[in-house]
Amino acid sequence: MAPPAAELSHLPKADGSANFSFGGYTITAAVNGPVEAQRRDENPFEALVDVNVRPAAGVGGTAERQLEAILQPALRHLIAIRNFPRCVVQVTLQVMEAPENAYVNSKVMQPRLNLGIIPSLLHAAMLGLLTAAIPLNTVASATCLAITNATAGTTIKVDPSPTEIDQATSVHVLGFTAGRDLLIAESEGSFTAEEWDRVLQTAENVCCRGQETGNDAEMGGYGAESENVLQFMRSVLEAKAAESLHWR
Amino acid sequence: MPREAEPSLSERTFTLQAISEGLRLDGRKLDEFRRLELSFGDEYGVADVKVLAKVSAEVTVPFTDRPFDGIFQITSELGPMVAPSYEVNRPTETEVLLARLLEKTIRRSGALDTESLCLVAGQKCWSVRVDLHVLSADGNLIDSACFAVVAALRHFRKPDTSIEGETLTVYTPAEREPVPLSWLHSPFCATFDFFGDEGDIVVVDTTWLEEQLRVASCTFSLNKHGEICQISKLGGRPIEATLVIQCAQMALAKVKEFTDLLDAKLAEDAKRRDKGGLMAELSAENER
Repeated sequence: MAPPAAELSHLPKADGSANFSFGGYTITAAVNGPVEAQRRDENPFEALVDVNVRPAAGVGGTAERQLEAILQPALRHLIAIRNFPRCVVQVTLQVMEAPENAYVNSKVMQPRLNLGIIPSLLHAAMLGLLTAAIPLNTVASATCLAITNATAGTTIKVDPSPTEIDQATSVHVLGFTAGRDLLIAESEGSFTAEEWDRVLQTAENVCCRGQETGNDAEMGGYGAESENVLQFMRSVLEAKAAESLHWR
Repeated sequence: MPREAEPSLSERTFTLQAISEGLRLDGRKLDEFRRLELSFGDEYGVADVKVLAKVSAEVTVPFTDRPFDGIFQITSELGPMVAPSYEVNRPTETEVLLARLLEKTIRRSGALDTESLCLVAGQKCWSVRVDLHVLSADGNLIDSACFAVVAALRHFRKPDTSIEGETLTVYTPAEREPVPLSWLHSPFCATFDFFGDEGDIVVVDTTWLEEQLRVASCTFSLNKHGEICQISKLGGRPIEATLVIQCAQMALAKVKEFTDLLDAKLAEDAKRRDKGGLMAELSAENER
């Protein structure tokens, strides 16, 4: 699978913007904030986080609202919302490309939960928030896992393709903060408690890998099983900061 | 959401003075366009010019009053990505005007042969849908939006189908290489903005700041053969007839440039996809 790619601050009008692509998904995030909230939805104690997911084709429907409902509480935990009462942080996530299953002709207007897109949406939103210089409590990353039951036993696939998701018995999305706290846990399909425990373990390893220095080599190095997105985000932002401060 | 700030008095006088002297803030000439960048996505039918156009197709039932025609629609959206003042699900005037203009330019000019989208008369047809997402706008939205939509439609491939007796088969991309739409001509928009008390200074490809200060604007839609699809001048200062004709000439030159650019980009993209030169054999399309 191709390594993740990102482009930062490519939209001149938004406060912060990022383009994140990984595993066939390309997401553009634009973050505006903190801006004044409308009277009807202002909160005198904390900032409102407004997440807006737009599909590439068609107008947003129930599937997008569900993605928003998953992402919004996650981002609320990350953003230092109590610093900005009566404000709103607008996060717009535009799906640019999504991988297609070459064996199935997809219908546009069929709302269907697509768990595989959540990690990319979260990572794009994170990069957008970071470029918009919005104070965050911590950063987070997420991963998608699929359990396939074959005759040889159950296997867990990290970052599955749409075909693998179709064949899987259950699909899970788990997100962890940089402090190894569980942030997102969404599952679909049938699975046992032991399977979920294994998924949790694997996801934690994938998301929080390489935080202890020197661990990287033992695990088979960078990109052994899947990319370490937190490290990737750090390197992209470092490159951007170095470029922006080049004049000094 | 906060309202967009209007240009201040000093900004206004400075820009207008500069334009009347034939100068622009970004150092361009009055009749010079910004460099146009176009990239195609990995999927077919995705073109991006800081506006993203995505084409999708599915099989549906045709409208009862037009049983032999397929369905073709263009939708555009301006969201908070452009500026926080744009709200979700509340179309602004710019958005409505943009949608109408694209409709007139591309759909009503018959650029796409809708009869070719019909599969079984009165029962099944293709519904082609273009979704235009504006990512960022700094003036001259109409021209770039139109360019993106045309580029995306020409880049798009729909699944191949076959009819045997009564049964219709839609092949997946793995079974048969998708086929392009039956495209008749490529119309493009060229917008001219007028400045000065008499409205006699013509500026093309205005930035957002200049756009707010113009006295009138006029959009020409035409193809490279000089066939005009529509001219729209929505209000503003009256313009001399000779100036309009001059603009039409300029628009033709511009549209030829656009066509060449798009053709070159499409050829480049086709070459990138044609790995090992197998595309000619994979294609199930008949020679016309």
